[in-house]
Amino acid sequence: MESLSDTLWDVVICGTGLQQSLLALALSRSDKKILHIDPNEFYGGAEAAFSLQDTELWVNRASAGSGGLFKSASIAKPEGTTGLSASRAYSLALAPQLIHARSTLLSQLVSSRAYRQVEFLAVGSFYIFKPPQESSQRPSLARIPSTREEVFSTTAVSAKAKRLLMKFMKFVLDYESSPQLEVWQPFADALLTDLLQQEFKMDAELQTYIVTLTLSLDGKISTKDGLAAIRRHLSSMGVYGPGFAAIYPKWGGLSEIAQVACRAGAVGGAVYMLGTGIKETETAEGEVKIQLTSGDTVKTRMLVRAGDSASDEMGITRLVAVIGSPLNSLFEAVVEGAPRPAVAVIAFPAGSLSTVSGKASEYPVYLSAHSSDTGECPAHQSVLYLTTLSTPDANATLNLALDAFLGTITEGQAPSVLYRLQYEQLAGSQRSQSEASIFTFPAPFLSLSFNDSTLQPVHEAWKKVMGDAAVEADYMTFADREGAVDDDDVYE
Amino acid sequence: MYLAEGRDKRVKAILEVGEWAGTVKLVVIGSSGVGKTALLRLYCDHEWDPRLATSTIGIDFKTKRLLVGDQPYKVNIFDTAGQERFRTLSASYYRGAHGVILVYDITNRKSFLDLEGWFQEAKTCSTEVVVLCLVGAKLDKAAQGERQVSTEEGRALAESHGAIFYEVSAKTGENFREPFVGTVQRIVGTPGLLEAVRRKPVPDALRLNRGDYYTKPIILVSLLHCCLSG
Repeated sequence: MESLSDTLWDVVICGTGLQQSLLALALSRSDKKILHIDPNEFYGGAEAAFSLQDTELWVNRASAGSGGLFKSASIAKPEGTTGLSASRAYSLALAPQLIHARSTLLSQLVSSRAYRQVEFLAVGSFYIFKPPQESSQRPSLARIPSTREEVFSTTAVSAKAKRLLMKFMKFVLDYESSPQLEVWQPFADALLTDLLQQEFKMDAELQTYIVTLTLSLDGKISTKDGLAAIRRHLSSMGVYGPGFAAIYPKWGGLSEIAQVACRAGAVGGAVYMLGTGIKETETAEGEVKIQLTSGDTVKTRMLVRAGDSASDEMGITRLVAVIGSPLNSLFEAVVEGAPRPAVAVIAFPAGSLSTVSGKASEYPVYLSAHSSDTGECPAHQSVLYLTTLSTPDANATLNLALDAFLGTITEGQAPSVLYRLQYEQLAGSQRSQSEASIFTFPAPFLSLSFNDSTLQPVHEAWKKVMGDAAVEADYMTFADREGAVDDDDVYE
Repeated sequence: MYLAEGRDKRVKAILEVGEWAGTVKLVVIGSSGVGKTALLRLYCDHEWDPRLATSTIGIDFKTKRLLVGDQPYKVNIFDTAGQERFRTLSASYYRGAHGVILVYDITNRKSFLDLEGWFQEAKTCSTEVVVLCLVGAKLDKAAQGERQVSTEEGRALAESHGAIFYEVSAKTGENFREPFVGTVQRIVGTPGLLEAVRRKPVPDALRLNRGDYYTKPIILVSLLHCCLSG
């Protein structure tokens, strides 16, 4: 077996977050010598998923200030019997991003054959939280009609509103051509709501429906970005089955993709070490000398690592709650022949919650509900991921949203909260850095759905490692490994 | 040559229908250099070549068809791809495994002592019920007096973990099929596991390569047209 120090590596990849792992996948059929390390004891970096025990370890690190872009992490459990199952029955995702069917990530997983090792689930309905009109009433959830069928069948909006929605959907599907282009271009950098109000005469409620579909964290998305997001949503509808636009990888979202990508790297010959970070680097004569925390010193032509410097952008605050109820009514298929969704999204528009200080909530809160089909919790439970932009009130607002959501559940007894994990994730630098022998990835996007811009730096890093040997047409395009073919028979 | 045993037309007919009674996932684990890949290659490809045995590159998993009783099962056997070297196998490697085959080298005491950790990992990472099979490899070297782990020790460790136990040699072919066949037999004989094996891939799981099979946006647009003009 080759020793770590005697090998001149073509690339050392540090970190097993999604981007670094996809790079390992992209290089898995090259003859490059790859050492892939991670200072964490787990795969996935900022996209990891944890058992309850691992969550605790992670929280201890993040609260001790060594959590990179994560901070202020804490866990809360009710006293006494918790109703929780064994630690490893849970797989709580740090980045529970949904992936739109038209995402390039999915086409790359297919062309690289990595998709065979991942199970995907349908993301179902999007709902809006409606606060009660009077204090005696319960709050409720209104489903956002985002398919033709739903617009037809919904009783939540008037006939006039249906016509407006139809008109807008048609507009968006071809918004980059004439005459649509001329309509929205004057609004390009203005708020999407301005366009909806002035050109489509939509009332505030309809505007909220549309803006929610963009999953905009501040609720103030521009027309240019908003139309792109809505078009992505509508054009993704039905690609992988009727009635849904996005999918979610089972067992913890992007974490699973990172692990599968790393395994592809290992199958291709990359050497993996966890719990091993970089102590020091020294660059000389086109080689990087790296002192590892394990005590080894390795030499490489290139080093690719994660960016973890915070930026001035607003970060997000998250609340992950395990609920002692399957919340079945959220996960019903709404279109005939559609698979049972495992994920539902509930939006609390800005202003729909009253914060402790009596103010209306400043930013939207998004709640992504995951059924036990995701493998993230045992049967008869569910996991709720709540996200909002970080403000001093964010933690309290998320807990308010959680209570308000549970108040809308009318089936059976009021569901109990078995476990709460809260943390902040800082926004990081969105630019990759490319020096002579060191490439640094940008920080992960904080968006709720996977952003395809995540993939460009991976491609750049691949080109840099491959140099003259880079063949564009081969990027992430591989044949199945031999094992996938049935060959021999054995009779017993 | 091993295939010749027991071949008959009835069996062949069942296999050719292409209807599997179920799909079994086995994962192989154990320390580096104990001969995991050699066993896998011999069982699946009928190959034994010491020159291939240096490190595991390029093997993801191998597929084998196996008849238990008169039921044909598809058996996918996953290899560690070198991720055992620094103990970095991921949770996704164990995902959905029905059986774990733990391999040590009977001429290498260290690889036997490492098993405590491997049993631990097998139990934490796999689903609640999983069939364990302990395999002492390189049995041929026992004749040359190189044995460092006695058969009794191996069997006792297996029993303490409720695992099946075999000693095998990929070089002579002795017992090479038993670990795989024995594990699958126990899996399909275990209530709970049999159902897991027989379950078709989760109906809600999406096959990505199915592609643009359903309603395309263009159809949506034309339907919208009908609706608006209607």
